[in-house]
Amino acid sequence: MDYRTVLTTCAYCGCGCSLYLEVLDGRVIHTFPCKTGPVNEGKLCVKGWNIHEFIHSPKRLTRPLLRQNGTLVEVSWDEALDFTARRLREIKEAHGSDSLAFLSSAKITNEENYLIQKFARAAVGTNNVDHCARL
Amino acid sequence: MSEKVRAKVKDLLDSGRIKGFLGLRQADGHLGPHLFTDGRELDALAVGDLKRPGDTRYPLNKQLLTLMRCDPDDSFGVLVRGCDERGLKTLITWNQVDPAKVVAVGIACPPELAAACECLKPYPDEFVDGGKVEGSTFASVATVDALDLHSRLTHWLHEFSKCVKCYGCRDICPMCFCKECSLEQEDLIHTGDLPPENPIFHLTRAVHMAGRCIDCGLCNEACPADIPLRTLYKKVAEIIAQEFDYRPGYVEPGEKPPLNILGEAPEH
Amino acid sequence: MTNSIAELEDADCIFVIGSNTTSSHPLVATRIFRAKEKGARLVVADPRQIQLALKADLYVRQNLGTDVALLNGIMNVILTRNWHAQSFIDERTEGFDEFRKVIAGYPPERVAELTGVAASDIIQIAEWYAKAKAASIVYCMGITQHTTGVDNVKSLANLAMLTGQIGRESTGVNPLRGQNNVQGACDMGGLPNVYPAYQAVTIPDIQKKFQNAWAATTLSDKVGLTIPGMLSGLAQGSVRALYVVGENPMVSDPDVSHVKKALQKAELLVVQDIFLTPTAELAHVVLPGTSFAEKDGTFSNTERRVQRVRKAIEPLGNARPDWEIIMEVSTRFGYPMHYGSPAEIMEEIARVTPSYGGITFDRLDGPGLCWPCPDKEHPGTKFLHKGRFSRGKGLFHAIDYKPPAEIVDAEYPFWLTTGRVHVHYHTGTMTRNSPSLHAEMPEGHLEIHPEDAHRLTVRQGDRVRVISRRGEITAKVSLTTRVDRGVVFMPFHFVECCANILTNPAHDPIAKIPEYKVCAVQIEKAA
Ligand code: SF4
Ligand code: SF4
Ligand code: SF4
Repeated sequence: MDYRTVLTTCAYCGCGCSLYLEVLDGRVIHTFPCKTGPVNEGKLCVKGWNIHEFIHSPKRLTRPLLRQNGTLVEVSWDEALDFTARRLREIKEAHGSDSLAFLSSAKITNEENYLIQKFARAAVGTNNVDHCARL
Repeated sequence: MSEKVRAKVKDLLDSGRIKGFLGLRQADGHLGPHLFTDGRELDALAVGDLKRPGDTRYPLNKQLLTLMRCDPDDSFGVLVRGCDERGLKTLITWNQVDPAKVVAVGIACPPELAAACECLKPYPDEFVDGGKVEGSTFASVATVDALDLHSRLTHWLHEFSKCVKCYGCRDICPMCFCKECSLEQEDLIHTGDLPPENPIFHLTRAVHMAGRCIDCGLCNEACPADIPLRTLYKKVAEIIAQEFDYRPGYVEPGEKPPLNILGEAPEH
Repeated sequence: MTNSIAELEDADCIFVIGSNTTSSHPLVATRIFRAKEKGARLVVADPRQIQLALKADLYVRQNLGTDVALLNGIMNVILTRNWHAQSFIDERTEGFDEFRKVIAGYPPERVAELTGVAASDIIQIAEWYAKAKAASIVYCMGITQHTTGVDNVKSLANLAMLTGQIGRESTGVNPLRGQNNVQGACDMGGLPNVYPAYQAVTIPDIQKKFQNAWAATTLSDKVGLTIPGMLSGLAQGSVRALYVVGENPMVSDPDVSHVKKALQKAELLVVQDIFLTPTAELAHVVLPGTSFAEKDGTFSNTERRVQRVRKAIEPLGNARPDWEIIMEVSTRFGYPMHYGSPAEIMEEIARVTPSYGGITFDRLDGPGLCWPCPDKEHPGTKFLHKGRFSRGKGLFHAIDYKPPAEIVDAEYPFWLTTGRVHVHYHTGTMTRNSPSLHAEMPEGHLEIHPEDAHRLTVRQGDRVRVISRRGEITAKVSLTTRVDRGVVFMPFHFVECCANILTNPAHDPIAKIPEYKVCAVQIEKAA
């Protein structure tokens, strides 16, 4: 049996509550608030308390998908990544950098947001980067 | 006061008496709950508050239940204060915990915490560290009782109307172990409303906890609306104590409560 | 936020406008409740009588889209009664005279007519806010999601400057960010006009700095497209590929039918997400990323606090952390990226992002750090604009009230406004896959005033057709006086009862934020 509590930050609203994920044998089974979290001081809202519930949802995507003959089918990472990189490059070469656009996200980490805009700007050469923060 | 606890836990782990110890660990800049399984990690074990009384109290008994359900054959140790020990005894009474499989390592609470809690017995029967502080009476209950009936009603309706329906009072409660929660019965409490139906939501819980609440106050500390839930449940506890001469957690395990308003808790 | 969440607790007056705080930011509501217990005055202005309204010392229900008028009215009262902070205005601001002229046109009686808020209430708000020792403004999307969103925000800034309620503890103008890392996404340059830390892409020196830092051959000096621009670009063929990470415009954007048509035109649609969202269903390739529990990193909350995200479990199945996926795509694209961990990425961020300059993972234990945190010794910044605004002098904006882009008429007689509910989040991909949250509210609904329902002969739970100029949906009605007569409300989290089929994509000319909060609809009992 492997049982751990892992301190992290809530991924829902902008409050940024500190919480512990209770992990049993590789599954996140419960959540509870961190008493000394600077924002929440031992409290969470209903979303925070239940944040472990979506993590292991059977609907989670666990394999890359590629559209073949109109439907999305499971493929290997190599195939999906090569396809993505190749098509991005082809479109850039044929239609210019600004024919590509990128949506980063309020749901991913700072580091990931940084990388996606760096990829758009430094590799592709476009400032077409935005996110859905307006919602 | 971590030293003595550390030594005791080291003994328990090294001797193989327990498989793991649920206690508190200093990590990531916080003092949080942790299952120690190796005597060598005990340097990080800590007890005590950081900024204010009670700010490192966690529902360790609730975590213990999880562990015991998943691994019923092994024994575990757990850090207990007075309230946690009351909780453990009550969990044993309700057949949720096998007493042979738990080793409690007790600490007595410091005066500030005992006073903030208005705890009748701020120490477990046996403790390895801390000094015994006399219990206090429920001053918060007396304050509310001193109000006339109408002001009392206004007071509680005002408090309950702040509820953001996080269910945290239930989710953190070491004594909430029902498989089906009456707070989620659609015919009892309408779902989707904010605030939840006032005062049905809160009184349903108060009634349901009667004879089971061991006055740990974790619900109160977890409430984002700062509703004085502990005062409410203390009041309920006083009524039960007066009418039935019964205080959960202050009696030996096995002595069942005199009333089971909403039926038996499920056997595990 | 200019100030931190905890500071709200010690304000003497809190003015909440366009934020359903107990529902969308419950842990901010905690501080508002506490301030109130300590004796603060709470003023709530919202077209819906939200939970916080029940706890307010004064609640006003302004007509949809009339925030500028309301705020100008409040400022008019402050100026005529000399409650403004003249020395603060003299020392720290400019543009006051121009502003004053516009405000003169908003006497409370006129504003009462525009907003539906009684003149006496306008005066009361002005007095409490202006005279408080420390007054805080809290706002959210009820302010920004309008064609006049920027005007609304500037008007709030005007109010704070006029009264000197900024740059001190427990004051300020405090936007609550809707999603956990909106702040971070913006800080990191997830915007078409700026690099990380809001450094403009159009300034040659800055461009040069990033070109060097990134060893890039060239960087574009052209401001890029916002989402509405990307969508029309796709529709017109000037944009051919869209790479979407963790977003779901098929539910989140206004006029969803139009969004779908645009996405379907993409030559390449890449979607990186953890669920097969309606947007991912349209993709050519779907890359499975990971949830916050399966990776390390940081989030920045609404008070600019950078906090750690810690990996709790291994990625599910073959999913991979998003930072790894982007690295792989970039490398295969021909621009190699090799970072050993998110901590290493943060080291690079600190080098190019002045406000994050002192942030490293090992400093983020405990409470984290609020930016600006320019160097390794800097303790972080609790509140902004102390002694000085970032632009030097604070600028007053002279702003006139403009009505919403779409107003009710005989054909579309109801005002529709949209928002969140306490158990759901954004497009529902996470919350609706959480059994406890789903059970609390399994489907969407339309809030309507009982008198309106009566006229339409619908009862609690009946289904109605809701029709706007953009599309139509059916929804279950929920009768409540929380909304006024003539106004209906819908949460936007539910794809099968998608409020954004109805909403108006008309957007603010500067911020490009669509007018989610106001459009006109007609309602009929469903057969
Ligand atoms: S627990 Fe609730 S209030 Fe806290 S960050 Fe998460 S969603 Fe926001
Ligand atoms: S005080 Fe609250 S958390 Fe503790 S046992 Fe009683 S109801 Fe449960
Ligand atoms: S913890 Fe407080 S806010 Fe949450 S459900 Fe219980 S009483 Fe309501």
